[in-house]
Amino acid sequence: MKRSQLLMAVTVCIIGAGCSSIERSRNLSDPAIRGAVLAEQVCSICHGVDGNPVSPAFPRLAGQQAIYLTSQLKNFRAHTRSDPAGFEYMWGLSHHLTDDQIAGIADYYSKQTARRPNMAFADARLLADGKEIFEKGVPEQDVIACVSCHGPTAQGIQAFPRLAYQSANYIVRQLNIFQHTQGRPGTPMEFISHPLTGANKDAVAAYLQAFPE
Amino acid sequence: MLRMIQLAAPRWANRLGSICTAIVVLSALVPMDAMAVPAFARQTGQNCVACHAGGQFPELTPYGRMFKMTGYTIGARTIPLSVMAVASYASVANTSKSDDPSADFQKNGSPILATGSLFIAGKATENIGAFVQASYDNYATQDAGGTFQGHFAADNMDVRYADRIVDVNRDFVFGASLNNSPSVSDPWNTAAAWMQYVPVPSPTSYQFVDGAAPYPGYGSGGNIAGITAYGFWNRTLYAELGTYRTANGIFSFMSFNIDAASRTMLSGSNNPYWRLAVSHEWGAQNIMVGTSGMIAHVYDVGSDISNPNNLGRFRNTGIDSQYQYLLDPHTITAQFAYMRQVQSYSANTIAGGSPYYLADGVTPVVPVNSSDTLNVLRAKLSYIYQAEYGGSLSFFNSTGTANTLNQTSGYDSNGQITSTDPLGTGITSTRVNGSLSGNPATRGFTYEAFWMPVQYIRVGAQYTTYSKYNGATDNYDGFGRNARDNNTLFIYVWAVR
Repeated sequence: MKRSQLLMAVTVCIIGAGCSSIERSRNLSDPAIRGAVLAEQVCSICHGVDGNPVSPAFPRLAGQQAIYLTSQLKNFRAHTRSDPAGFEYMWGLSHHLTDDQIAGIADYYSKQTARRPNMAFADARLLADGKEIFEKGVPEQDVIACVSCHGPTAQGIQAFPRLAYQSANYIVRQLNIFQHTQGRPGTPMEFISHPLTGANKDAVAAYLQAFPE
Repeated sequence: MLRMIQLAAPRWANRLGSICTAIVVLSALVPMDAMAVPAFARQTGQNCVACHAGGQFPELTPYGRMFKMTGYTIGARTIPLSVMAVASYASVANTSKSDDPSADFQKNGSPILATGSLFIAGKATENIGAFVQASYDNYATQDAGGTFQGHFAADNMDVRYADRIVDVNRDFVFGASLNNSPSVSDPWNTAAAWMQYVPVPSPTSYQFVDGAAPYPGYGSGGNIAGITAYGFWNRTLYAELGTYRTANGIFSFMSFNIDAASRTMLSGSNNPYWRLAVSHEWGAQNIMVGTSGMIAHVYDVGSDISNPNNLGRFRNTGIDSQYQYLLDPHTITAQFAYMRQVQSYSANTIAGGSPYYLADGVTPVVPVNSSDTLNVLRAKLSYIYQAEYGGSLSFFNSTGTANTLNQTSGYDSNGQITSTDPLGTGITSTRVNGSLSGNPATRGFTYEAFWMPVQYIRVGAQYTTYSKYNGATDNYDGFGRNARDNNTLFIYVWAVR
């Protein structure tokens, strides 16, 4: 590399460094960056700036319980949550996060307002079946009601996550992970979800995504 | 992606290229964990599928596009080096209609380790990042004894500054890119620099593989120096504007190791490039509709740039669209790109005239056009299951004005078909590449199946069929070669690390 080109590269980097703002950083290894900044600059690309993602591939974080968000980020960071999407997307992003940054991200998203996704294509029968499972469980299959841990409005209670308006696709995927893998160990859902049939999962997921008033 | 470069290389560069290729081959044999992927993945710690649709590099997901637009700055700074290599095999349907099959179909039916690339890719500062590629062509030239010589030279380069202003009410990504190929800075893969993605090896048996069939492109080609400014508003409206000049002087690294005789030489810095796109995401789907263009003042390759009579002009105008459905386990992509190119020839090119006669052997063919129009259309539909098994179908069609300037076969003064140069004007031909009509019309399909056993290796097979080539279905070269004779099977193993 010629001296002039080296000089140009160094100059550009110095200017670039000088123009950078810690309030608009996407640096995941700098403990000085606030969690809320990382939420806006990085997490928002998939989960939405307000925690309401466009794609059902990504979970809705808006209004989620801060304690739950914190525990999941720490599980990703410690690689104890190893569902496919978890390690494909989240292990790396959480790798360098400090406890303070995780708390900041959790706080940011827990304070956002969850929005109900478009219900135009919701199947009324599926919703009715899902409501039954959510409120009463499936007694003949020894499945307890979701409401007992996740709250009457599925708003979640501390370590029990909010489920209302959550992506149905995401819920079904997680139930399958609980049922068939060790990707999310240490949660009672491993046992609770075990008897659920495919139809049960589709119904409860559809109901939770729509969560009609 | 990979430019075919026909020139001699410094020995050290060749050696470096050989080493890079060897590293890739060896690394493909060494077990790696899921995180051990190229530089960007190491920087974010994510798998390929986060940024690449169904893991099908280089096609980007919405997240991958944002990663690019934010200047490759997401993540933690790491060693920004990656390598890539392609091993391949090609077989052309008919190699008999040729004066010299060993020259027209080099390495036909023989597996080769064709190309390798070295990448410097990653974040440099909070706002600056780069994607810099240099590639080694194992078959760049042949010596007098017919032995191939390798060559290492600049490939795609994109160094950018970016920032993002975002809150719940607005989202604005903006930045500037210093790059060496029009549209290499573009985040969508219907852009000319990205739609053709499997590198095309140099041996002549690869001249009919899909990557060498018509793709929308810019007349200026690559390895030029440009600066563009861009903005992406509310993940909806994308605009980019810039200009290009010759990659010399302080920008000579952008045409590294490409000699002056084959380097694109532009006139001045008034060679504007523009891009406008509207994007919409809903559910697991997203769509983009866009347009782009460029005006480039280009000297004839290898000509005297102090002579204005060697200066021609390309005017490109394109429209493109891309649709994606991304929800595990399915990835569906539909792409469409159309580029119209008007090429105004240099005065010296026009003065060259045509050496051929009409079939009567008496009447010289009409003088060449002073400009030609070329319209290239590409449409592609692809599906990938579980980011592992995939297939695609693509259609290509190029049409344009016929021009005696583009004839490389014709009638001599005796009314006989000839591939020689009856008037001694310097136009030479080989039989297989010949064009009796001087018309660029080429049409066909490519069928592809691929498998990604691990995220950093893709094994693929493409079969490209031609219903028209160089303006004709049958006898396009004047010596009985038909378009379908060029149908080609291309098998590749593409590894990155």
